[in-house]
Amino acid sequence: MLPILSLIVLIPLLFAALTLFTKTKEQARVMALVATVAVLVLTLYMYINFDSTIADNQFEEIYQWVPSLGINYHLGVDGIGMPLILLNAIVLPFLILFTWNDDRKAPNRFYALILATEGAVIGVFAALDFFLFYIFWELTLIPLFFMVSIWGGPGKHHAAIKFFIYTHIASLVMLLGIFGLYFSAWEMTGTPSLDIPALLSQFQFIGSGVMKDLIFLALLFGFIVKIPVFPFHSWQPDAYTEAPTAGSVLFVMLKIGGYGIFKVILPLLPFTASPNLMITIMAALGAVSIIYGAFLALAQSDLKRMVAYSSVSHMGYVLLGAAGLVSLSVSGAMFQQFSHGLIMSIMFMACGVINTTAGTRIINDLGGLAQKMPKLAVIMVLTFMASLGLPGLSGFIAEVSVLAGSFVNLPSYVIIALLAIVITAAYHIWALQRAMFGVFNEKLGTIVDINGYQTLSMGIIAILIVYFGWNPSPVLDMMLTNSEQIISLMAVMGV
Amino acid sequence: MDLMLLAPELTLAVTGLAVLLIGLFLPVGAKKMLGYLASLGILVALALTVSSLGTEATMFNDTLSIDALSQFFKIVFLVVALLFAIASIKYTEGNSHTEEFFSLGVFATIGMMFVASANDIMVLFIAFELASLATYALAGFEKSNQKSLEAAMKYFMIGSLSAALLLFGISFIYGMTGTTSIPAIAAGAGNLVTNPIGLVAVVLLVAGFGFKIALVPFHMWAPDTYQGSPSVVSSLLAAGSKKMGIVAAFKVFIVALIALQAEWQMVFAILAVLTMTYGNVVALSQTSVKRMLAYSSLAQAGYITMAFVVLTPMALGGGILYALSHGFMKAGAFIATAAVVYMVLSENRDVEDPDHLDNFKGLGKRMPVTALSMTIFVFALAGIPLTAGYMSKFVLFSSTIQAGFVWLAVIAILNSALSLYYYARVVKYMYFIPTDAGKVSEPLPYTIALVIAVIGVLAIGFWSEPFVYWAMEAAKVLIPGGM
Repeated sequence: MLPILSLIVLIPLLFAALTLFTKTKEQARVMALVATVAVLVLTLYMYINFDSTIADNQFEEIYQWVPSLGINYHLGVDGIGMPLILLNAIVLPFLILFTWNDDRKAPNRFYALILATEGAVIGVFAALDFFLFYIFWELTLIPLFFMVSIWGGPGKHHAAIKFFIYTHIASLVMLLGIFGLYFSAWEMTGTPSLDIPALLSQFQFIGSGVMKDLIFLALLFGFIVKIPVFPFHSWQPDAYTEAPTAGSVLFVMLKIGGYGIFKVILPLLPFTASPNLMITIMAALGAVSIIYGAFLALAQSDLKRMVAYSSVSHMGYVLLGAAGLVSLSVSGAMFQQFSHGLIMSIMFMACGVINTTAGTRIINDLGGLAQKMPKLAVIMVLTFMASLGLPGLSGFIAEVSVLAGSFVNLPSYVIIALLAIVITAAYHIWALQRAMFGVFNEKLGTIVDINGYQTLSMGIIAILIVYFGWNPSPVLDMMLTNSEQIISLMAVMGV
Repeated sequence: MDLMLLAPELTLAVTGLAVLLIGLFLPVGAKKMLGYLASLGILVALALTVSSLGTEATMFNDTLSIDALSQFFKIVFLVVALLFAIASIKYTEGNSHTEEFFSLGVFATIGMMFVASANDIMVLFIAFELASLATYALAGFEKSNQKSLEAAMKYFMIGSLSAALLLFGISFIYGMTGTTSIPAIAAGAGNLVTNPIGLVAVVLLVAGFGFKIALVPFHMWAPDTYQGSPSVVSSLLAAGSKKMGIVAAFKVFIVALIALQAEWQMVFAILAVLTMTYGNVVALSQTSVKRMLAYSSLAQAGYITMAFVVLTPMALGGGILYALSHGFMKAGAFIATAAVVYMVLSENRDVEDPDHLDNFKGLGKRMPVTALSMTIFVFALAGIPLTAGYMSKFVLFSSTIQAGFVWLAVIAILNSALSLYYYARVVKYMYFIPTDAGKVSEPLPYTIALVIAVIGVLAIGFWSEPFVYWAMEAAKVLIPGGM
């Protein structure tokens, strides 16, 4: 059979290397489009053949790599990873189209870095061996670092270094956790293995409760810094804001932190020495992020920074829903990752367009843009409504599932999070009203609406937001299957 | 006894003498062929060693032993020597002392190889001195360059002192056990454990090897020597000579003096932490690339020293694998720097600091192959996945956790994160700081050496199994049993 997962991971990486050798913008963007469309086609093929009624890993590929250390090249995808691969595969071709007519220095490197990020991120979702997982995990860091530090805004160096140090240290802590798991299992079974499913199932037999908690916390730390949630979020607004538009969108596609929570953390959770404490930590961090991120977003004067903080708030739902531990909340949290990826990519594209044509992103300096940019205005209003959770759009399904589901086990945290809904609505609508509507600010000069490529790419993603708002089951079904399987593990806790 | 077992060493000895003799009769212009001859000799010796992997034997009344450990380290030394010799072809071009340069390099390699196979503490010491004397002369090869002379002088003084300390320590051990054979010392170490003289011997030996491996606080000579010596020689010192100190210390401490483990284990733990932290912190502020590499070399020696603390077969295997990886990475990085220095000096003879970071500006455009190789080496040194550095760190650091030294692993990992900063800075200068200077043609010998080193670094990173396997086999020689 076709090694389809390997192809999906390796095609972008290979094309990234080839794109480096292109000479002109025209060649580079065509290479990038070819690679991302190829990934999309393969992913759709995989999606069609994916069985969403079983929670097992599918499309598995396994080859020995370093047998004396138990390292294998092991790929596979389940209902947690599949929607996220789909998300990346769908958005990336449109991201390339979105940047189609932009002029920038070194376009060959620019498109090469986009492709390298895509390959690495999909690699994380497909890896079933911790060694491979860690390699892809670290590999996501390097292209994004260069993306910010080459094409970023005025504070790019600070933002890039901050992002790099924060997340690199988090990865190293995660690596410590992986080592702990690796050796504890090695001691018990007598054979080394870094296989993710095998190690996850052996975690429960580790004798020392302290060891189990340390492993769990090290892994959790690695993942939540990447999501990010309060109090480890401070790299995120800087990196998201200073990155070029394509870089911000790639950051949004980087759902590996949340993926780690569902794939690794939740299956381990019931077997830790103090599961209730762990649940409290996760729920509290999630709830605080939701409300804290919302307040910070309300206070921002820069439109892009506001969007960045709103992302902190929205990612809080992921952690809260995961900690809710009923299949409704867990699948809702997974769906939040998917939906948030679609919504945020349009929001960052919109910020980028506004910045280019108006020369500023300060909300108060804008005004009345809708008169000059009707196409953008339509898409933006729709996206902002989706982001604040208007029923009928994808954001609503995710957030309502998280809140309703989590209420069963974590009522007090949900009540705190509910307060944020008002604020979320406020900053979205307020920003929209000041920037897009009202009297046009004549100082802005000539304003041009989005071009055909931009309309196409933003429009199609917007249509998907509406589509998944009405009919989430194409991705929600597989998420539910895996959530139920995760929840069935919780029986040992007596939940 | 089969002399064929010594074929690699004999090949090298013949090569060294032949280079010296032929050089006497050649005009300066034709001396370039000596470099090819030396490289060829080393290549043959390397092929002989690789083909005899897995052989086990002892020779000359058990004073030499051929086993996985000695073979592995011989390969390390030969690889480094090969890179050194190839890169030096360009460096020595037009120099009337070419024959001395290459024969000294070859003799130093022979010394290192005998250290690797020594099974007697006196043989070990003599081989150690053979390698050291040859490298003292190499460090001062640029006779008209003050910095090179300073480097050689410092290296010589400190080296002699450390040799004296070593010999003093060895004499105590001989006095207490009545033997110089390493296995016999291990068997008769009872006296050393009960008598405080044992402790004195350990202190002297730690100091003696500490100088050679450049562990903090015995490191003062290293940055000056690595910076002042010709860059190709620095590659031999940092990547080869330092490994010789490590394999000698493996034999003396882990095999001969394992009974005194309680005395030296904690000492090495402290030295390892001091060395890696000091090396990384000081490297952060260096503007001379060679000096930065010297401090990074301290840090790397600190990581390898962790193997003395953890003392499990996996940790020793990790340390041994690290030695090989470091050989490729560090020799490669110094050779890339040598290529840059060569380029800078050929543009302007009077440049004060040819290895200053500013000279790396825009290197990605000026010398694309050198810049790309340098990028791979520094990322490997930093431990970025899919390189030799990552694989070695993976084995070594993870074994530290396995043995329960979580604090040590945490310090090492944080150090590793810190080091990324100064390595990434070199990459930043090469690719992101533009310069007006144009493209230059890259000297072929340097390029060949760089490509070989890159292949080595990536091979250990991707196709790790044989390297890990042989490193583990080598570790089993030190600690029989294994996992």
